[in-house]
Amino acid sequence: MKKTGFLFDERYLIHDTGPYHPEVSDRLLAAYQGIKKAGLLEKLVLFKGVRVDLKWVEEVHDADYIARFGDACVAGKKELDTPDCQMCAETYEIALLAVGGILDALRRMMEGEIDNAFCPVRPPGHHAERSRAMGFCYFNNIAIAARYLQKEWGIGRVGIVDFDVHHGNGTQHLFEDDPTVFYYSIHEHPSFAFPGTGREFEEGVGAGTGYTKNSPVLPGQGDDEYRRLIVRDLIPAFETFRPEVILVSTGFDAHEDDEMADMRVTTEGFNWIMETIVGLADTYAGGRLVSILEGGYSLQRLPELVGNHVRILLGDPAGALQKNG
Amino acid sequence: MLVGKSMTSKVITIDKNESLFTAREVMRKNNIRHLPVVDGENRPVGIVTDRDLRSAMPYRIYRNPDTAQAESERIAKLKVSDIMTEDPMTIPLTYTLQDALLLIQEKRFGAFPVVDDKGKLVGMISVRDLLRAFINVLGIGEPGTLLGILVEEKVGQLKRIVDVITEENISFGSVLVARYGEKGKRAVFPYLLTNNVIRVKKRLQEIGFKLIDPMEWYIDQLNR
Repeated sequence: MKKTGFLFDERYLIHDTGPYHPEVSDRLLAAYQGIKKAGLLEKLVLFKGVRVDLKWVEEVHDADYIARFGDACVAGKKELDTPDCQMCAETYEIALLAVGGILDALRRMMEGEIDNAFCPVRPPGHHAERSRAMGFCYFNNIAIAARYLQKEWGIGRVGIVDFDVHHGNGTQHLFEDDPTVFYYSIHEHPSFAFPGTGREFEEGVGAGTGYTKNSPVLPGQGDDEYRRLIVRDLIPAFETFRPEVILVSTGFDAHEDDEMADMRVTTEGFNWIMETIVGLADTYAGGRLVSILEGGYSLQRLPELVGNHVRILLGDPAGALQKNG
Repeated sequence: MLVGKSMTSKVITIDKNESLFTAREVMRKNNIRHLPVVDGENRPVGIVTDRDLRSAMPYRIYRNPDTAQAESERIAKLKVSDIMTEDPMTIPLTYTLQDALLLIQEKRFGAFPVVDDKGKLVGMISVRDLLRAFINVLGIGEPGTLLGILVEEKVGQLKRIVDVITEENISFGSVLVARYGEKGKRAVFPYLLTNNVIRVKKRLQEIGFKLIDPMEWYIDQLNR
């Protein structure tokens, strides 16, 4: 069994998105309950968030944007850049704690204390652009994580897999001209779903051409189509790229019971996706993988989905994965 | 929505006495496919396209070594005025984008020179410019989510939809209304600049609207 880290911090619950917003703190509680109910809590290495050194955030975001976000919170503004990004006075600090927690998970993994980690943080990150908050996201957690691995730990090739139902426009744009970070995303087709990017022909620019790969999925599709596209697109791409570490933008919103989108992936389908990604990490990256939570809004399904996700990270042979509820 | 706002104003032109080789070079360098030919007063007197050049300078002449030399000498003597389309159809600055779209479809041209009220060349409007404008009209350059809503074909339906969306504090990228397969029905496609559509979808259903199955959204499945 692997040593799996679990970043959990009650302060991530403080980020308040106001009424009628799907990205709520109950999501993290549901995730926590799922892990607990599956009897996995004592098998994990638990740690809390730490405030990130701003220099890492500045690797990805403009200093002006970081300051604008901080100022907006201090001034009591309730949204940043778009009505989608609802926030409270503490959101900026919580976002810094989220990034810091993820970098701490990476440090522990690189130092050998853990093999991999699951980081259910709020706010999520993959829509955040260099200078723009978007789609419930403020700082691009996974992008900052990739740069931290490269600059602090000398990792050459970082592979990012994003299976949130929405395309990670921010992550793609931040690395589209960079051949050292491969961005793979599978998501609902952009003609139907937010944010309208991630078309099949977006494959990177300049020196980064060929280091971005998108698998858009038409609405109503489920496990079979996800499996077909991951086998066709992701597996051969990573066979060529050979990532030294894999970072995962984990979203459970492609689940058939999630109302955010129109996909029909089952709990078993998510198990297969994660087993496949962990398999790629074992093959190319010495098992080094950190999973960072993005979306997933079905409070009924999150416990079983997260429980299974963590059990797969642990490589726990004793426990059976839960079935689609 | 006037062509003046969407056209390319930095027009590259050519003189009618230039050689075909020069014309080809100008097109290549500027990555364009239509070269307007103007007189001394900057009035369009002709247009040369990349297709005109290809047919005037066919590579096949080199297949026959007996005539290749003579042929290439003949081509070298040709001028733009020998192959251009004379008196090209122009459109005035005051035309709308819709005019240009319909004309391009009807005439099967790739671009039109745009002229001011004195007939002087002020721009070119091409299929490429219109595509950009159309993307802008659809709003798909901005992040958002497309909804498909089935409505009765009667007055006031769109208002009810807009009211709900407005109450949810959501901005519109665009709204398309199309005929739907079922008689007496219309399909409304609001493109909403948000990721957060759970509640708005529920509210639309609560007031009696049917959301269209996403896979039936494709325009080609709708009646034309």
